[in-house]
Amino acid sequence: MISEIKHYLSVYKRYLSTSTSEAMSFRTSFVLLIIMDLLFTSSAYFKISFIYDHVSVISHWDRSELMFFTAFMLCLNALNNTIISTNFWMFSEDLKTGNLDYILLKPVSSIFIVFFRYLKPSGLPNIILTHSLLIYFGVQVGLDIIEWFMLPLLLLLSFVLYSLVQFVMSCAMFWLIEGMGINFLRMQMQEIARWPNFIFEKYTRVLFMTVIPVLLVGSGPVYFIFDRSYWYMVPAMIVACIILYYVLHFLWNRGLVHYDSASS
Amino acid sequence: MSNTAKWIQTMKISWVKTTAYRLNFFLQVIGPALIFFFVKYSLWKTIYDSNPSETIRGYTFSAMITYHIWSFVVSMIGQGHTALNMSQDIRLGRISSYLIYPFNFWEFHTASFLSFQILQILISIVTLSIFLMTGILESISMFNFLLGLGASIYVSLFWYVLQYLTGIIGFWLEETWIIRVSLQVITVFLSGAVFPLDLFPDFWRAILDYTPFPYLTYYPIKVFMGAPVPLLKFAMTLGGWFIIVVFLNVIIWRKGIKNYTAAGM
Repeated sequence: MISEIKHYLSVYKRYLSTSTSEAMSFRTSFVLLIIMDLLFTSSAYFKISFIYDHVSVISHWDRSELMFFTAFMLCLNALNNTIISTNFWMFSEDLKTGNLDYILLKPVSSIFIVFFRYLKPSGLPNIILTHSLLIYFGVQVGLDIIEWFMLPLLLLLSFVLYSLVQFVMSCAMFWLIEGMGINFLRMQMQEIARWPNFIFEKYTRVLFMTVIPVLLVGSGPVYFIFDRSYWYMVPAMIVACIILYYVLHFLWNRGLVHYDSASS
Repeated sequence: MSNTAKWIQTMKISWVKTTAYRLNFFLQVIGPALIFFFVKYSLWKTIYDSNPSETIRGYTFSAMITYHIWSFVVSMIGQGHTALNMSQDIRLGRISSYLIYPFNFWEFHTASFLSFQILQILISIVTLSIFLMTGILESISMFNFLLGLGASIYVSLFWYVLQYLTGIIGFWLEETWIIRVSLQVITVFLSGAVFPLDLFPDFWRAILDYTPFPYLTYYPIKVFMGAPVPLLKFAMTLGGWFIIVVFLNVIIWRKGIKNYTAAGM
């Protein structure tokens, strides 16, 4: 088990190295990517800020509470964009062109290669910015020492859940000739996840907290940080991760059976 | 074959290509606009429920939702088109064909754009009918609708030349999607697609008036809503920006084609 983890980490180190080399080869694109991420983060920040210039609360949350939630989601978004996002677009291309054949031949889990092969080093400045915002608004909402300690762990748990939801959604590409639309659907799910669950009506909330748990990703940990009576959100996230892990393996294997290589 | 016949044939081919993968088309083009509307509806409902007696900068809940319905229509018609394939055509050397065909690169893409626009207008009309039948939208004045439709089509022409510009930057840049997405992020925020520009701080609005952004969403929405809009200023400002971008397109194309190495030939 330990040696297997070591092996995967050494493969991941290579991926990191090649992705960095590739990014450095196209410096203009690298700089533009940084600007794009910063624009996105700024627009998300100002969006909330301008609304609170006109209202004092949204549901029961004041400016600093919603800003903390937004900063939490922006952190997740930055991690997502840096670590896994590129892979979803490459996956749809690999399926269409038959490149998946070569991935299947490699002596490492195909799920690992497909979803972790490409990293986006240009996302690093945005990670720094969004985490700084999270710390700033964490101070604003008055987090105590235990909450500061829990924050990185909850962020990690949210990232795992967020990733698993997207991996499972991407499996739908196996059954479509043109998988690009699934990537757009995935981005729409991200748009929904960027808001706390209380803005949605009851049935929508239930759907996106349980069946496609994108709302659980942000609302779960932030509710728990603000109010310990929401303690059940954390085990719910862990259970969702476990279920999605098995659903992913099931769909992936079914997808591979259905997969009809374009190159052979 | 006459030039008009070539345009019509290209439009037909583009229509077939766009609608070939219907689920993909729905997820890629209609889905994002619907989800965006759904999120905005939910958000503003919560905001007005939390502050029941309030109008926000003159907008009641009903006026705010009407604004976002028209925002949906304007974004579908005015900003739906993307130059996704253009940079790929350049990067992979596919534009070599256009250089020897009796139908130019810009003519091909413009015909495809027109075909896409017809489809978008039809979808918008169907969606509006649904909004009307379900009572989400209370009523439409036919005059304002036709005026707003005209304004949105005018915006779409500007958006198209802007997308064309980002596409032909592919002569120099490996990944033009980054510019396209950045443009989209800026436009969505600064054009009034997220919320009316009336909610922006005054100094932001003063600056924005010198840019094309308010004319891409905010003003066309106001036209649809029957609010007083300086139409001449709208037409002149956007027309001025249109001429500037077309001029840039011509220069960049001429320079780019000299730079072009026809990869894969």
